[in-house]
Parts: sequence; structure tokens; C-alpha cells
Amino acid sequence: MRLEWRSIIVCAVLALAIACIAVLALMTGSYTLSPGQVVSALTGGETGLVHEIVVEWRLPRVAAALVFGAALGVSGAVFQSMLRNPLADPGLIGFTQGSYTGALIVILLVNGSYVQLAGGALLGGMATAVAVYAFAYRRGVQGFRLIIVGIGVSAMLESLNTWLILKADLEQAMAAVAWGVGSLNGVSWDQVVVGGTCVLVLLLLAGMLSRPMRQMELGDDAAAAQGVRVAAARLGLVVVGVALTAAVTAASGPIIFVSLVAPQIARRLARTAGITLVPAAFVGALLCLAADYIAQHVAPTPLPVGIITVILGGGYLGWLLFTEARRRL
Amino acid sequence: MTTLALRQDGPGTVTVPGPRRRLLGLVVALVVLVVLLVLSVMIGSTSIPPSAVWDALFHSSADIDQFAIRDYRLPRAIVGLVVGVALGLSGALIQALTRNPLADPGILGVHAGASFAVTVAVGLLGVRDVQGYMWFAFAGALVVTLMVLALGSTRQGSSPVVMVLAGVCVGAVLGGAREALQLTNPDAFDAMRSWNAGSIAGRPLEVVWPILPFVAVALVLAFVVAGPLNAMALGDELAVAQGVRLARTRVLAIVALSLLAGGATAIAGPIVFVGLMVPHVARWIVGPHQGWIFAYSILLAPSLVLVSDILGRVVIRPGEIPVGVVTAFVGAPVLIALVRRRKASGL
Amino acid sequence: MTPLRRRGAALAAVLSAALVITACGSDGDDTGDATVKARSVKADNGTIEVPAEPQRVATIGNTTLPFIDLGGKPIGLTAESDSNVKLLPEDQQATYAAATILAPSADEVDMEKLASLKPDLILAQIPDAEFELIEKRLEAIAPTVFFGLDTEWKALAGGLAEAGNLTDRFSQQKAEFEGKVTKIQETYREIIDETSFVDVIRWASSDPGTFAIADIGCSEIARDDVGMDFPKAPAGADPLAWTSLPFEQISSLSKYDAITYPVDAKGQPTEPFAPVVETNTWKALPAVNSGRALGVFCPGNNSYGSVVRYLDSLASVLATLPAKK
Repeated sequence: MRLEWRSIIVCAVLALAIACIAVLALMTGSYTLSPGQVVSALTGGETGLVHEIVVEWRLPRVAAALVFGAALGVSGAVFQSMLRNPLADPGLIGFTQGSYTGALIVILLVNGSYVQLAGGALLGGMATAVAVYAFAYRRGVQGFRLIIVGIGVSAMLESLNTWLILKADLEQAMAAVAWGVGSLNGVSWDQVVVGGTCVLVLLLLAGMLSRPMRQMELGDDAAAAQGVRVAAARLGLVVVGVALTAAVTAASGPIIFVSLVAPQIARRLARTAGITLVPAAFVGALLCLAADYIAQHVAPTPLPVGIITVILGGGYLGWLLFTEARRRL
Repeated sequence: MTTLALRQDGPGTVTVPGPRRRLLGLVVALVVLVVLLVLSVMIGSTSIPPSAVWDALFHSSADIDQFAIRDYRLPRAIVGLVVGVALGLSGALIQALTRNPLADPGILGVHAGASFAVTVAVGLLGVRDVQGYMWFAFAGALVVTLMVLALGSTRQGSSPVVMVLAGVCVGAVLGGAREALQLTNPDAFDAMRSWNAGSIAGRPLEVVWPILPFVAVALVLAFVVAGPLNAMALGDELAVAQGVRLARTRVLAIVALSLLAGGATAIAGPIVFVGLMVPHVARWIVGPHQGWIFAYSILLAPSLVLVSDILGRVVIRPGEIPVGVVTAFVGAPVLIALVRRRKASGL
Repeated sequence: MTPLRRRGAALAAVLSAALVITACGSDGDDTGDATVKARSVKADNGTIEVPAEPQRVATIGNTTLPFIDLGGKPIGLTAESDSNVKLLPEDQQATYAAATILAPSADEVDMEKLASLKPDLILAQIPDAEFELIEKRLEAIAPTVFFGLDTEWKALAGGLAEAGNLTDRFSQQKAEFEGKVTKIQETYREIIDETSFVDVIRWASSDPGTFAIADIGCSEIARDDVGMDFPKAPAGADPLAWTSLPFEQISSLSKYDAITYPVDAKGQPTEPFAPVVETNTWKALPAVNSGRALGVFCPGNNSYGSVVRYLDSLASVLATLPAKK
């Protein structure tokens, strides 16, 4: 894939912003540490609580925000490109609602452990995505039918989720809702290493699929004429897109809205004609990291990161649309 | 902007029934609706014999069963009717306006605005009953729709695609703010849980009367703009050539749909899916004729609401499931079956 | 007192040995750590070494209100809903207000804030899955005593008193509770034996137009401790209170002799319950017409102090109950 100069500059600026916020996130927290202590903890010079706070609490959280944010950005980009619809994300084929249903069942009915929660979310999401794909399959899967079936199944699951939350005990219901918007609270190295490895492999796969993806943006027939095996490529893209979101969801809950908004912001910043993967990844990472910093340090009480990604991402995209509409007069 | 354009209706390959068949269908839908209204009064969480139902309506006394009919079931049927009509018509309007067969009134931020306003009322102002929520929900829905309209407009007029994206953004931001308020205020969260599900139970008729004039005005507006919207379906330029005033039509349609969706949400909370599915199915039945789509939506949507509500009363007797939870379970399988049966490839 | 859960036989063996140690109080197996006197307490996360006289206690989840009720003064806590806090006696409200809020709810604890308070003891009752997630972090900050959600309130109070070194106050409260129960049983023997009661409730989260039969909460104490005849869900089934009943079903309450319903401290129906009292169906109930619908004040059912206040309210309304026809 050939990147244009503007894309490269945009990515570099995003990377710089990411680095600044990452340093800030490591240095600050409600437990006051001097920059010297933080550096010394990172280089292995501290023990006890200081080491624990910097290396075991703050560092994995920053890493998780970066990796998971990038994964969500790419996941959304894949779906929006494939379905040629700016509102597409894996939620469209029911993954988000399905994983939420799985998690709710584990949290509210089974009262299961954290590992079961991750498993429940994965299973619920995957089962739903497969069901939607299967319901939509009739001599091939066609975008429009996929969207309608996805909307129908999602609506049913959303109703079920509302019902489960309505019937639950208040405290458990709040915990479930906090999980449902996505939270990096308490993320540990275990989750980052497992989730991160999956994400990296999937990002490579996404990179390999990016050529057929761009060709398919011009239409299935045009792509087929250029030698793209459309059906196989589409299935591959669905699997990669869903799996990226799945990895994040299992580790931290569905951090909502990043996958929808990141590709749109990236496209407008880089001024590319279609959806591009790399800028989307950078925007996703920056959005998650910044949102998590705000969620932890700026909000009066700590909030799940998903709430801030929605407000930041939605607000920024809204502003972009506003200026874009003004410019095009 | 090409990749942003939502998929529009391709040329359908389905034969559209003629006017007489359409009228016949309309009569059938009307009969079904009336039957459902009657069933809605007959069937409930307790068994009350039909004779007692008759007595309750026409020879009232202080019998405890009669209270159940007059105080709970009858108001509930009326609430279901009004809410269903409003939801169905507002969905038909938004789909016509955005030329997007999958648009839902919620897409312009109606539900998000209403929910946010109700959360503020509950969390910060301590409002606790349906009559109190109502005006906040209504005002929230209207203000947000107008905001989205402003955001999605340029000096040349409004673009449906930008408006939809703007609606999603505004909706998301308000949704995030709402969740933040709720998660930091357990009392508000608790009180909001049932409102969020969407229900027509336990609403006194005093909640319906103030909304009714708005719904009536919106009904008239909807049929006024039906013709111009038909012309606009073929493209803005063609519509202008036919003498349609685009900006005026869009503003009237948005005023009507926000009154309808806002009113329904004020009464029942956010009931999703009805406004999306019913007009969509109506379009499959009658083809792209807005007036007919509106008429069918007005009859089919309350039927879906009432069927769902009746089912919600009987499936977990003696408990009940709120109608907002049931509608998707009744409607979605129908929608999926229909989309699988269709021969059309574009739409 | 804490019921053994989950950990199985191996843990049981360890614990039975630990019981002896715990009973003796401060003679823990502190090997070498001579500066602070330590004790061992047993909890659902094992046997925990805690300071003999903890000074800086943080409470997480359902431990907050029972700990304050025992006279404890937490320095940090996870927020309780305003409606719960308002029901506390004034001195307890002051204690609550003086503490640092660590999180709006128990699942989003700000660990760094907790660490910066430098607590010497952390008490937690939250879902198992949530504790599993934060256990290591809590223990890096201070000794943590954890109780699972199925720990009964009496056992929880006992465990908290032991960990927080508040056993004097605990014994006093327990004796007061048992005294009240006996007094009610003696005074109202006949009513208890011959009257079928039902407790009804509406919560802030209830759907409009619904109520529920409360078989959990305060009337559980009236049923299980006092021995009054309140309905109970069959063993293994969900509590009756989990099913919200539409107002139509109010008529089904006519099969009970007497009804109890929730009122606030002033004797008015609680705000969520008020719509039930206003229905025609409620007004037509025989129990309501004959003065046998009793408003009872329930300030909480998870600590001795609040349960004693409930029993006082119960005793005062039983005194007004007209004789059965």
C-alpha cells in the first residue's frame, strides 16, 4: 500500500501526541510520585508499592489503551470499507450486542469469574456474528441483507440485555453496565499480553487483506475483474474485523464507538478518498489513550473509558462534520 | 462524499399491488388492529371473565375486577394505540426524508435527547414519576432533533447523509454524558432502568391527553409532505423541477417526526425497532408511495405494539415483560424472514 | 461464623486450626514482625493477618454501612446511594460524610487514591468475580478481608467486628437484637401464630404499574427470626420479590389476613410505593378497609442497628393491629 505524504505526516503527528499522553499517564495519578521515582521504577530501581503502581498498574493500562485502541480503529475501518457505509462497525452484525449478552449472562446469572466473563463475551459475540452471517446467507452474502439481519438480531439481543439489567440487583447491574461501555480499570499484564498478541497477529492479517479491500471499495464486479476473489476476501475481512473487536472485548469490555468514529476521523485528517487502515489505527490508539487519561484523571470520579471515547469521538466527529459542511458551500 | 452515501433503493423487481389491493390490505390491517385492541382489554395478568369486562365498560360498579379493567387495561390499550401510531409514522417520515430504508427515528438523536433529559431530571432534579418525566423527555427529543437539523444543514439546505452522521454523533455524546451521570449516581441509575426498557404499562391517561394535540398536528403535517417526499425520492433536482420546495418540505417533515417520536418517547420511554421495521415492511407491501406507506404504518405499528404487549403479559405470568423488550422479539424474526424471501437484489 | 464457601476441604482443615487462634485474639503467628501487633482473622479469601487495632480502615462494597453501624470510622469507602445514606442515624451520616469516596460504585475503585490514603486494613464485600480482579492490588496496599456476597448479614457483622476490632459494640448490638426478637415473640404470640401476613414493596427501579411481594429484605427477619407467617419462595426457586407483578394482581392480596408495606421514618408510604396506595384496587382490599394494612419502616437489613430499628417499627404497628373477626 502506497501512503501519500499527508497520511505519513498525519500518522507522525498522531504518534507524537500518543507519546506525550503516554508519558503523562505514567507520570500522574492520584498516588503522587515524582518523575524521578517513575523513571527509576521503570528501569527496575524501585520495589514495593511504587514498583507495583508504576509497572503493574499504570504501564499495562497505557499499553492496553494503545493496542486495543488501534485494534478497534482497524476493525471499524475494515467494516466501513467492506460495507461501504460510514455507520458500519462490527456492532452491525451483532457482535457487540452478542458479547454483551454473553457477559451479562456470566455476570448476572452465573456470577462467574473474570476468565468466564471473557469467555462468555467471546462466545456470545462469535455465536451472534455467525448466526447473523448464516441468516443472511442465501447464495452468497450480500451487504444489504447482512445489515438488515444484523439490525434485527441486534435489536433482539439489545432487548434481552435491557431485560437482564432491569431484573438484576442494582450493584450487579451497575457493574454490568460499566463493563458494557468498556473499562480499562484493573487491566493487568496478563490481559495485555494475551489480548495484544492476538491483536498484533490480526493486524498483520488485516494489512495483507488491505489490497483486495481497497479494490472492493470500487464495487464487487470491478474487484473481480482485477482478479480479487470477492467472496473469500469478504469472509476474511469479516473474520478479521470481528476477531479484532473480540480480542478487545474479551480483555476490557466493548470500548464502544472507537471503531465507528476512528476511521471517519482518520479519513478526514488524512484527506484520503477511501478508508485507510494505518491512520485509523493511530486515531483509535490516540482516542483510547486520551479518553482513558481523561476518564482517570480529569473526571471528578473515575469513569469507564468507553464513556469518554463516546463523548470525545462523537464530539470531534460532529465538529469535523460541521466544519466540512461549512467548507463545502 | 461518495463512500458516505448510504445505499439507496435500487430498482425493485417486486410487483407492486394496484390501488384496490392496497385499499383491501388497509382494511384488513384496520380489522386486525381493532381485534387487538379488544384482546388487549380482555387478556391480562389475572383472568377476568368476558362478562365482567363487559360490565366494567358499560355497567360500572366498585368491584375489584372492574377496577383492573378500567384503571389498567383500558388506558394501556389506548396508550399502546397512540404510541404505536406515533412510532410508525415517525419511522416512515425519517425513512422517506433520509431516503434510507433503514433509518430509525432514533438516528436523529430523539431517544438520546429524551433519555438524557430524563436522566438530568431524575439524577439532578429528583423527578420520580411518569408525569414528571414526560415533559423532560418531550423537550429533550425536540431540542436534540433541532440541533441535529442545524448541524446537518448548510446554507444550501440540509443533506440527509450529513444529518444522519450528525445525529449519530450528537446521540453518542449525549449517551455518554447520560451514562456518566447514571454510573456516578446509583439512585438515578436505579430509577432509570425501567424507563429505559420502554413500557406502556402503568401510564395513566393523563399522560396521553397532553401529547395528543401534538400527534394530531404531526399527522396532518405528515400527509401534507407525503406528495413532495414522493417527488424527492427520485432526486432533489427532479423534485425541484416539479415545483417542490426542498427546504420547506424537510423542515416540516422533521418537525412532524420529532413531535411524533418525542411524544411516543415521552409516554412510553425509548421503544426501538417499531419505527424502523414497520415502515420498512410497509414499503415492501405497497411500494414507494409515501401516502400509502404512512397509512399502513399508522395501522401496522400499533398492532405490533399491542401484540407485543399482550404477549409480554402472558409469557411469564403473573409477572410481565415490558413492551419495549418484546417488540424486537416479535418483529425481528418477521423482518429476517421477509428479507430472506425477497428476490430483489438492490432492495 | 463466616460460612465456608468454595474453597473445599483443604481450606476447612486449615481453618479449623485457625479457629482456635482467632478465638484467642492477638496471639497471631507473627513471626518476627514485632513492631505492629497483629491478629489473624479468617475470611472468604483465607486467613488474613490484620493489625491488632486497625486505625485506618477502608471499606468497599457492602461492608461500608455495616462497618459504620458497628461504630467504625472508615477513612475511605465506595459510595452508597443517597437514599441509603439518608436512612442512617445522624452520627453515622456524619461518619460517612467524613470519609474519602473511592468510587461511585464498588466496581470502579480508584486504586491509587486508595493507596494514597495509606490504609492499614481493607474490608470488602463484592461479587467474587470483581474481587478476583482487584485482589492482588488490594493486597499490595494493605491486608484485605473479603466476604462473598452470600455471607449472611449476621455473619458479615461478626466478621467485620472481628477484623476491625469492634467486638464489644458487636456483642452489645447482638444482645439488643435478640432481646427485641424475644420481646416481640412474647408480646404478640397470638398474632404471630394466627395471622397470615404478606409484605409488599415497590422499588425506584420497578416498572410503572408494578409492585412485588417482598420475601427478601426486612420481612425476611420478621419471618425467619421472629417466626411470623410471611410467604416464602419454594427452596431453590428465585425469591418472589424478583417477579414484578402488575397492579391487576393487587387483588390477589385479599387472601392474606394482614399486609405490611414500606413507609418512611415519618410513617408515610415510601415514594416508590405511593402509587400502589393510590390505586382503587388497593383501596378495595379487605385488609386495607379493616385497618390491617400496616406501614413498617425498614432502614436497612444488613446490620444490627438498622434491623433493630425495623423491629421497633414492627412492634409498634403490631400493637395497633385490630383483632381478627
